Amino acid sequence: MNEMHLALHGVAIKKHAPAHAVAAVVGLAVEQVEALLKDATATGRLLEAQGGYALTPAGRMILDSQYSRFCDAQREDAAFIKAYERFERVNVELKQLITDWQTLDVGGQKVRNDHSNAEYDAKVLDRLGDVHERFEPVLAQLAQGLPRLARYGQKLEAALEQAEAGKVEWVSDAKLESYHTVWFELHEDLLRVLGRVREE
Amino acid sequence: MTQSLGKFLLAIDGSSLPDRNLIGGKAWSIARMRGLGLSVPPAFVITAEACTAYLDSGALPPELAGELDAGITWLEAVSGARFGAGPQPLLVSVRSGAAISMPGMMDTVLNLGINEATEVALGALAGDAAFARDTHRRFLDLYARIVLKATLPELGEDVAPSALAETIRAETGEAVPSEPRAQLLAAVQAVFESWNSRRARKYRQHHGIPDSLGTAVTVQAMVFGNLDDHSGTGVLFSRNPLTGEPAPYGEYLARAQGEDVVSGRFTPQPLAALAAQQPGIHAELLAAAATLERENGDVQDIEFTVQQGRLYLLQTRAAKRAPAAAVRFAMDMLDEGRLDQATAFSRVSAEQVRSVLSPCVAPAAAASATVLASGEPACQGAGVGVIVVNTDEAERRALAGEQVVLARSTTSPDDVHGMIACNALATEHGGTTSHAALVSRSLGKPCVVGCGEGTVTALVGQIVTVDGASGKIYAGALPVTVPDENADPALARLIAWAEALSPIAVLAEAPAGPLLDLNAVAGGEDADKLPALLPGHTVAKGGAIASNAGVRAALAAGIKTICASPRLPVLLAAIEAARELQSNTVNDE
Repeated sequence: MNEMHLALHGVAIKKHAPAHAVAAVVGLAVEQVEALLKDATATGRLLEAQGGYALTPAGRMILDSQYSRFCDAQREDAAFIKAYERFERVNVELKQLITDWQTLDVGGQKVRNDHSNAEYDAKVLDRLGDVHERFEPVLAQLAQGLPRLARYGQKLEAALEQAEAGKVEWVSDAKLESYHTVWFELHEDLLRVLGRVREE
Repeated sequence: MTQSLGKFLLAIDGSSLPDRNLIGGKAWSIARMRGLGLSVPPAFVITAEACTAYLDSGALPPELAGELDAGITWLEAVSGARFGAGPQPLLVSVRSGAAISMPGMMDTVLNLGINEATEVALGALAGDAAFARDTHRRFLDLYARIVLKATLPELGEDVAPSALAETIRAETGEAVPSEPRAQLLAAVQAVFESWNSRRARKYRQHHGIPDSLGTAVTVQAMVFGNLDDHSGTGVLFSRNPLTGEPAPYGEYLARAQGEDVVSGRFTPQPLAALAAQQPGIHAELLAAAATLERENGDVQDIEFTVQQGRLYLLQTRAAKRAPAAAVRFAMDMLDEGRLDQATAFSRVSAEQVRSVLSPCVAPAAAASATVLASGEPACQGAGVGVIVVNTDEAERRALAGEQVVLARSTTSPDDVHGMIACNALATEHGGTTSHAALVSRSLGKPCVVGCGEGTVTALVGQIVTVDGASGKIYAGALPVTVPDENADPALARLIAWAEALSPIAVLAEAPAGPLLDLNAVAGGEDADKLPALLPGHTVAKGGAIASNAGVRAALAAGIKTICASPRLPVLLAAIEAARELQSNTVNDE
């Protein structure tokens, strides 16, 4: 990827975010991203609103059309694709786990988990720790094909450690770089790099 | 001394009870059961010292492979089976066993020792090739997930073991060893590795557990309940956990594995089936249950398997019990001299007694009655009355002597006077944490919440029965049974003892003299407000006073007498609260 494409790719993953957040997700310097995003705004590829950048329809079209050019290496890397398929498998498990984290089964009915049952939460967190450990080698394989992806590992581990320290919002709160937020961004990143569509 | 099989290995033969830190919790409990003369699948343990040595040097101690061979030879001798080979194959489970259980430690690998040849032998032995194939598949799946930490594609339960093994190799780049001893060594090493997993390290750091402790590894023979007609599996309670009757209660399924029972594919038979088929085993099992109950001082829930005419106990724990059974267990075990009075009391909670004493709808009447609405059970008990939707009207009519059920869309503090006066309460919106649910519980008033928009208020003027246990509202006045705490001999005795232990008096009828009636005080239904309302009084009744939190507040405020009926839950809550206060005082010193 060239740097402009990478910066726009970061905006696509974050949807609507300031330059420093885009820089953090793609691993470029903040000043550089700032300059790139300003340029892209000037040429109508981005909109700047409320301190954050978002793609314009034209910007999205250009971004999407350039992936095949910049992500050729990954798209033809059999090991990378295999690792991606493993990611999708873990993703199925993670989605179930997040559901279990957010809801409790009370007498056959699903109710919102208010996190007052520490024992229940500890069990789900332990499962998350297990999923994370099994995902680590998969991420290492992905990072072999695309080194910047290793950054997600640090963010996932940081969120996991916050959650394990008792800050339960770090599991799935969408307003934080919680485990689920970072996981979702990684998923979006992989889908874009490989030109795939999210399966629900 | 427990038989030593080398520098790092101990055979768990029951001759002594080794240090829990050295062998871990699981092996320790096996050793304890063996020491009681009970039949447990044979096991040996690799001590935590081997783990320490591994962590220090980064390699398995050179002696370990040889010692594992000695351990396996010992297991083969006591089980009469051969590790991973026919005609009677020995398979083992491998589990981590630190003295303190912690997250991140390796899960148990089952059926270790199986390979293509063993599968054939096991199939021939059980007369069931499908079972042997499934055992092989489950071993490969667990080994891949636990030892190799692989996330495999979903292949279903019908995949051939050879295809699964090939998938594991392709996914992980590692093959599952087919040689049983190689499987064992790899699993042991994985247990040691898991001691240093990120989560285990964090947990130890957080709880101040030294990293140098290390984990033991327990290797135990697998037993199979499906090998022949003299095999089977079951569960035994040392007393009936539903009624409390002091008679063993259980289920047995011949020629089956535990998972067959759990899956619901087969219906287990009552324990009498085992008594008829294998009377000797049945007698041995009952004796074991009696021993475990005596040693552990509580009613036991025991999982067992019979393999080829031999009984093995797999797990025992304190039994979960219905409220009525909790009362009976405690009284009977006290009478039998198995518990002292203080322990017997600690086994019966105020909540359980409340449940036993709450009014209930006669089951036969409920079965044939029309259900008008249903929602979430919020407070147990049953109440009959005419539906009134206006709170003031409900209070007025109830005070005039009418039986009233209050139905509201939701409730707020403005409705409390009506909630106090009515026999039962139903709401259309809100769950088990809604205002109606919280207040009804502190008042001990039967309540069903969240029946849905336009349901219960539309029943205005109708006579209904609210069943707070099932969450149903029935048409008409169904017969409601109100248990009498004084008529039940066990409860009456419990009352007499509880009165002697309780720090305050609990009376069914209000005495003459000054009395605080919380039903007549704003906020009296809210246990959180009682600390502000009670000081200066010595006798109180009504409102939230009979709830656990109410009794705690009464004790703290120096109340000497509570008037409530039934009395026993209040007495027990007072004893519990006094115990808590005491332990807090001790902690403060």
